[in-house]
Amino acid sequence: MSVALLPLGHFLFAALSLAWERGTRRLLLLSLFFDASLLGYLFCSFLQGETFAVVLGGWERGIGIELADDRYSLVFCFLAIFLTGAVIAYLWREHLRPYFYMLFHLLLGSVFALLFAQDLFNIYVIMELLTLVSFLLVGYERKPVQIWASLKYLFFASLGMVMYLFGVGILYYHTGTLNLGILKAQLIGQQDAPWLLIVSSLLATGIAVKAGIFVFSLWLPAAHASASPAVSALLSGLVIKMGVVVLFRLAPIFPLSLPLEVLSAITGLLGIIYAVYTYDLKRMLAFHTLSQIGYLILGIGIGTELAIAGGLEYALGHGLFKGLLFLSAGTAVQVTGKEDIPGLIARRSQIPTAARAGLLIGTLGIIGLPPFAGFCGKTLLSHGTDSIVAQTIPVILSIGTVLSFAKLLPLFHPVRGPSSPWSKIGSYAILALPMVFFLPLTRLFIPIEQWNESFGVIPGVESILIVGLGLLLYRFLPARPVKLPQRVFRLEEAVLVILSGFFLVYLLLLVG
Amino acid sequence: MQFINGVTVGIVLFGIGILGLVLRRDLIIKLLSLGLVNESVILCLVSLNARPDGVPPIVYAEKGAPYVDPLPQALVLSAIVINFAILALALVFVMLLVERYHTTDSQRIEHEIQQEEHR
Repeated sequence: MSVALLPLGHFLFAALSLAWERGTRRLLLLSLFFDASLLGYLFCSFLQGETFAVVLGGWERGIGIELADDRYSLVFCFLAIFLTGAVIAYLWREHLRPYFYMLFHLLLGSVFALLFAQDLFNIYVIMELLTLVSFLLVGYERKPVQIWASLKYLFFASLGMVMYLFGVGILYYHTGTLNLGILKAQLIGQQDAPWLLIVSSLLATGIAVKAGIFVFSLWLPAAHASASPAVSALLSGLVIKMGVVVLFRLAPIFPLSLPLEVLSAITGLLGIIYAVYTYDLKRMLAFHTLSQIGYLILGIGIGTELAIAGGLEYALGHGLFKGLLFLSAGTAVQVTGKEDIPGLIARRSQIPTAARAGLLIGTLGIIGLPPFAGFCGKTLLSHGTDSIVAQTIPVILSIGTVLSFAKLLPLFHPVRGPSSPWSKIGSYAILALPMVFFLPLTRLFIPIEQWNESFGVIPGVESILIVGLGLLLYRFLPARPVKLPQRVFRLEEAVLVILSGFFLVYLLLLVG
Repeated sequence: MQFINGVTVGIVLFGIGILGLVLRRDLIIKLLSLGLVNESVILCLVSLNARPDGVPPIVYAEKGAPYVDPLPQALVLSAIVINFAILALALVFVMLLVERYHTTDSQRIEHEIQQEEHR
């Protein structure tokens, strides 16, 4: 029953925070305590090999909506708890309307509901709820840039979910069920039926629009760069991952392996090319969300046990360091009033020391230096496959990530900055600590023998070499800014790009 | 099976909606096209799972007649409600933009916003 209680509890908190205006902060702490205790219970039972499943309304499994917890949902619940804690600490001294706290609880409630959902239509409904809530959160400050970015987001997300719904309809016509467990058993024998290819490409396109994959999610840079820092951290760290969770669940049922590998290369490379030539700090971070999603879907696409564990680990790590980067970058931008990196570097003595430390730790995590979070996921990914192509993609992505983050180096020059309030320092620490001690945490993901095999001296030396190579390449990068095409991010072009992305996925399925 | 049925009409409507989204510059028309795209998929979903000779899925006196599957219709009801919510919320945000820029032309709005950003 506790899997149903988590989302319901948050919807109740959302209603309460509107009704009890003066107690919104106490409600936030109460909800954090509520989540932590329920999840602790779920987690302890999971370690003892016990999982929970409930079919709502007492129906049988094929008719009712099934909620269940598994490895994926628990990992992302863990991420959700940490990000919520950090965002609550970050916003502790700000005076926001109760409306914001209501949206915050609704967002968390729908995140938990999605993590436990085992039914394709239920996933559709919750995805749309997430779209609406994040649409309102992006436009919370009512600046024209935010309103326009969130309107575009609504258009694309709605279009994507329409394609997903179409896929669900065809699937129901052929199989008569939407429950993921039953579907898996039914579809084993007919992996190359023509209708299944159309269904898979429709479902994958719909989810890809929400999951931050480059050719589909062209709304992302504008939306994540213009939202307020706390909202960007939540959207980039948590909401994007919800699409990835659905891909994790769909991958064993539908033949999506080849399209996901190709899409991971596309999103990684294009994201990095745009990030290298973007000089606006928050927009660069948003492009990096697109590029880092490449690692996650590469893990899903390869599909071996080790690669999936690597993708899952990288998802957790990415949520932590991207949240940290957005929160500290938000403080830096607010304090200096500059959004571009050269402007920030010129005023680096005005940026609080804690914010710069947060940026530094987040950068070390994202470029994958040995003990930090990014390193663990990348190592497992390259150990999880034998194919040369799949092993080179992460290496190229890592070099590109170093190349684009090298712009930030002068920012970390040791000058004394003003001090920060305790709440902000606490919020950075909540995200930074699990990132620094990530390596011991990863023992929970895979058996101990494989752990010993994967993490030796050689991967550590390799990743240090990659960082060195990236810094070396940065020296040879032409200093002149390069203008990349920005037209694709407009509404009209992006609709066409999404449609052609659908045909690309379908062609890849036909070939594979 | 007839050639003109719910599914083919739905696919044609989907194409018209996409054309409206891409070719028209007016934001309100774009929103209406989005609504058309949404409704076209709902039409497809219902007519794919239709059973013309079935009886309503209510416990009837006469046994043995084939029942219509009630699940797709229940699914479609929630999809319609969601689409309504999306259109309503999007209209509120369009209203905020129109109050500021006095136009519903999407390209002019985008241009003005970029100008403000560069200043």
